[in-house]
Amino acid sequence: MATLTEARPRDARAHRAPARGGRSRRWVGVLFVLPAALYLIIFQLVPVLYGLALSFTRYSPLSRSGPQPVGTDNYARLLADPEFGQALMVTGKYVLIVLPITVAIALGLALLAKQSFRGVGLFRSALYVPHIVSLTAVSMVWLWMYSQHGLFNEILALLGRPGQSWLLEEGSALNAASAMRIWKALGANMVLLLAGLQSIPSVLYEAARVDGAGRRAAFRHVTLPGLRPMLTYVIAMDIVFLAQGFAEIFVLTRGGPLGSTTTVNYLIYTEAFQYNRFGSASAMAFVLFAVIIAFAFLAVRGVGRRS
Amino acid sequence: MRSKAALATASVLVLMPFLWMISLAFTPERDAFGSIGLIPAHPTLTNFTTAVTDARLGAAMLNSALVTAVAMVTNCLGAVAAGYAFALLPFKGATALFYTLVSTAAIPVSVTLIPLFLMAKSMPLAGGNDLTGVGGTGLLDTLGGVVLPYLVLPMNIFLARQYFSTADPHLAEAARMDGAGEWRVFWRIYFPLARPLVAVIAIFSFTAVWDDFLWPLVVTSSQETQTVQLALARFLSTGNVQYGPLMAGAVLVTLPVIAVFLFNQRAFISGLTDGSVKG
Amino acid sequence: MKSRYGLWAGLALVAGCGLSGGGPAQDTAKPADNAIAVWFPGTNQTEIDLVTKTIVPRFEKETGAKVKVTFLDWPDLSTKLNAAFAAGTAPDVFGHGPAAVADFVTNDRLEPLTADVARLSAQDREDLANALPGGQVGGTQYLMPLSMQGNLIAYRAGDFTKAGLDPAKPPATWEAVKEAAKKLTKRAGGKITHAGLLLPSHPIGRQQTFAGLLGSAGGEQISADGKNVAFDSPAGIKALDYFVSVYQGPDAVANQLGVNYQDMPIAQQPLVTGDASMTVLAPQMVQQVVKASPDLDVRVMPVPTFEGTAQGVAVGGAGPGLMINKDSRQKDLAWKFISYMISPATSLEYTQGIGAIPARVSASDSLYVKSSPVIQAFVAQAAHFRPNPNVPGWTQIRDIMAKHLEQALNKKVDSAQALREAAAEVKKILNG
Repeated sequence: MATLTEARPRDARAHRAPARGGRSRRWVGVLFVLPAALYLIIFQLVPVLYGLALSFTRYSPLSRSGPQPVGTDNYARLLADPEFGQALMVTGKYVLIVLPITVAIALGLALLAKQSFRGVGLFRSALYVPHIVSLTAVSMVWLWMYSQHGLFNEILALLGRPGQSWLLEEGSALNAASAMRIWKALGANMVLLLAGLQSIPSVLYEAARVDGAGRRAAFRHVTLPGLRPMLTYVIAMDIVFLAQGFAEIFVLTRGGPLGSTTTVNYLIYTEAFQYNRFGSASAMAFVLFAVIIAFAFLAVRGVGRRS
Repeated sequence: MRSKAALATASVLVLMPFLWMISLAFTPERDAFGSIGLIPAHPTLTNFTTAVTDARLGAAMLNSALVTAVAMVTNCLGAVAAGYAFALLPFKGATALFYTLVSTAAIPVSVTLIPLFLMAKSMPLAGGNDLTGVGGTGLLDTLGGVVLPYLVLPMNIFLARQYFSTADPHLAEAARMDGAGEWRVFWRIYFPLARPLVAVIAIFSFTAVWDDFLWPLVVTSSQETQTVQLALARFLSTGNVQYGPLMAGAVLVTLPVIAVFLFNQRAFISGLTDGSVKG
Repeated sequence: MKSRYGLWAGLALVAGCGLSGGGPAQDTAKPADNAIAVWFPGTNQTEIDLVTKTIVPRFEKETGAKVKVTFLDWPDLSTKLNAAFAAGTAPDVFGHGPAAVADFVTNDRLEPLTADVARLSAQDREDLANALPGGQVGGTQYLMPLSMQGNLIAYRAGDFTKAGLDPAKPPATWEAVKEAAKKLTKRAGGKITHAGLLLPSHPIGRQQTFAGLLGSAGGEQISADGKNVAFDSPAGIKALDYFVSVYQGPDAVANQLGVNYQDMPIAQQPLVTGDASMTVLAPQMVQQVVKASPDLDVRVMPVPTFEGTAQGVAVGGAGPGLMINKDSRQKDLAWKFISYMISPATSLEYTQGIGAIPARVSASDSLYVKSSPVIQAFVAQAAHFRPNPNVPGWTQIRDIMAKHLEQALNKKVDSAQALREAAAEVKKILNG
């Protein structure tokens, strides 16, 4: 208690003197960031740097001798490995399929769900359910839906069409996995865009109406600019998480057929936990990291700058 | 109302897999996935009793609830405060620090799992460890260990920064004139206005922790520290999946999350009507 | 600047405890006196109940020891063991399949059990003779198998009768199996709508299918000393050609290439849905199918051979078993627990509980085997089951084989080329 009452006048004094206020406020900024930053540096950044160090070694957690330095061998091997190249392509394709569709549908739904009417909360919850339902359990349902006598083939049969081997064909497996991921990612995207939409002051819409702007004009001149920070976040988040796509691949296709759904993160998991090669798994992770950061950066710049 | 109809259609489509989960939860094992009908031919409640007794779902839900509650609070405070400062109280090196922290989200868990495990084990003064983190098991097999990686999720800081980046910096001028400290400005002015943001961060933190499997799998080993996903995994034996109890359990553990979400909805809407943080 | 120092200090800390990688000083974290931790593979509910509610309490009562049991599903086992070994918190006893043993041995993580086995009675050793070799690496016993495993072709007797085949005399050669399958296969518009014979073709399944066919053609996967690739042989080409012909070409008898039907729910099993007349299944699944649909009259046939070769081979033999962590402080108690698990009464109780093939030969006289025609058939085929090689890096070798087999099965390359390419990659693993 004593420290609190003591602190307050000091703060107040600082702000009364504008010249010192700016600097003090900056110092306060550090304090605000400090708990989260310290925590993340210790429990996120240190493990990441540990992984970076491992990427220049040969290391099996089972071994008693610890990591053996191998220089840049792991990276050199990756560059020459066609399988890793294919996995990078698959990952890119996966992001390019899932991201635009998810964001577009989520934006449409957010615009609809933004309106306030009775029961809108129920619709929002319903659309959010896929994001919260246990993946392991629901993947069983998806496996079945894609199976020989599953829902999709039964619907095709009703339409008089032959059934498909959704997860077993090179041409359709990635799309099938993408569909499940779109379904799973939709709710989170929608909730974020909804929060973004709701933070646009209604005054701006009224002003636009007074200026004689139609609905389309209002969307372009009020909604989109107001939504830009959130849209930037949503796209960056999608890139970061989709490019690490693993769980849905693991449960649906195990990377097959013919490697057509083997994402980089699937390779990383196999390399690390099936083959116990943490060195090369880490190297893969940092190549993926570089690619993710590059694309997220481009996307953030692209969305952020356009006006 | 057209948009209502569109929303209803979308909701039904999106809920379809979930509806089958509910249907399977009432279906006896041998009929599972036998037909595409939604109404089980021989409905049963035994799946639910199996789920609750065999997997000790109640205890697991309590553990998960404790862990998620902690993560929700720390994220809503830590991540929101940090995002706020990155957006409105910039300091030297803030941008570099921000990108460094957030970019850690782009490294797959497979890589960080083992170092994090070693850190949990070597946590000083926990689980029989001395000050240097030697001697005991640290946070292994404790709920503190389970919550360790989720206390602040980097993407939540990013989200908070984005949210505050368009906030009106002049909003606080008056308060500052009156001599309010920065903490007060944040806590009394910006934080309450950012209710939609806090609601989203809360629900995202909740799902991240509630749904995670890999970390609790590695860090826990006894029944007493089981989380819901670990409890459910018991029915997922390769080649011998128990579909009914699995689905019944999955439906049961989804309900609290829906409740939290519905509760959050109110925060959303009131955050909206209270006024705006934007200028 | 300060934070950067802190960061490196932190990194050094982690490196200190992690990179040093646990020499002999590494502990199995603080075992209470007379207590052991045991990790079982698989989360089969009947097995969990049997072990935690019956077997372990009885063992604890008889010995006064404490046993802390954890069950882990197969895909999670390696993840958890990796972290635990890295941190020195691995359990005293843990289970795994025979194929994983060699890697633990290479890393000096397992207690050799040869001496303990030698102390068993001669009668015991004879009784376990089928199971023990699967748990050996380089002649040393490391794993004590708890059950036997193996897959056989299960078939719908009714389909045989309808197609003019005698269900009492199932085909004995792979050639005859294919001929029978042709009669059982149904097509609509050039597409197979009912498969005569489904050979497992998912990643793990297709390696096992190939290994079985290869053995039946008189071939080996890896040379006996574990140093050389042996599957890129004429026998290998014959085996793979056969496998491909089941799925491809005008005489194909199978559809759904790549699907893992072996792990599907009962109601979706191709034998139950009527999508196939013959499928390859484990004893547990055959028993469930028979129980769920007795009217189908599902039976199992002996392992077929190729014409002109001595005997049919299927992948199998020793099943999952238990090993002792070399760093365990309770090795005596650990062995006591393992020997309790494999003792005649407990072993039978356990294998019966999980519906597996018993590890002991003497169990073939038991009521469990006698009362189940399915288990009886599997026990009778015990001599035909051959385990995958226990060589370091086996998981990866298996995946490499699966990858190249898939190329051949999809007609991207011919059998000879697929095996040649697989052999080249596997050689690199075998040579370290």
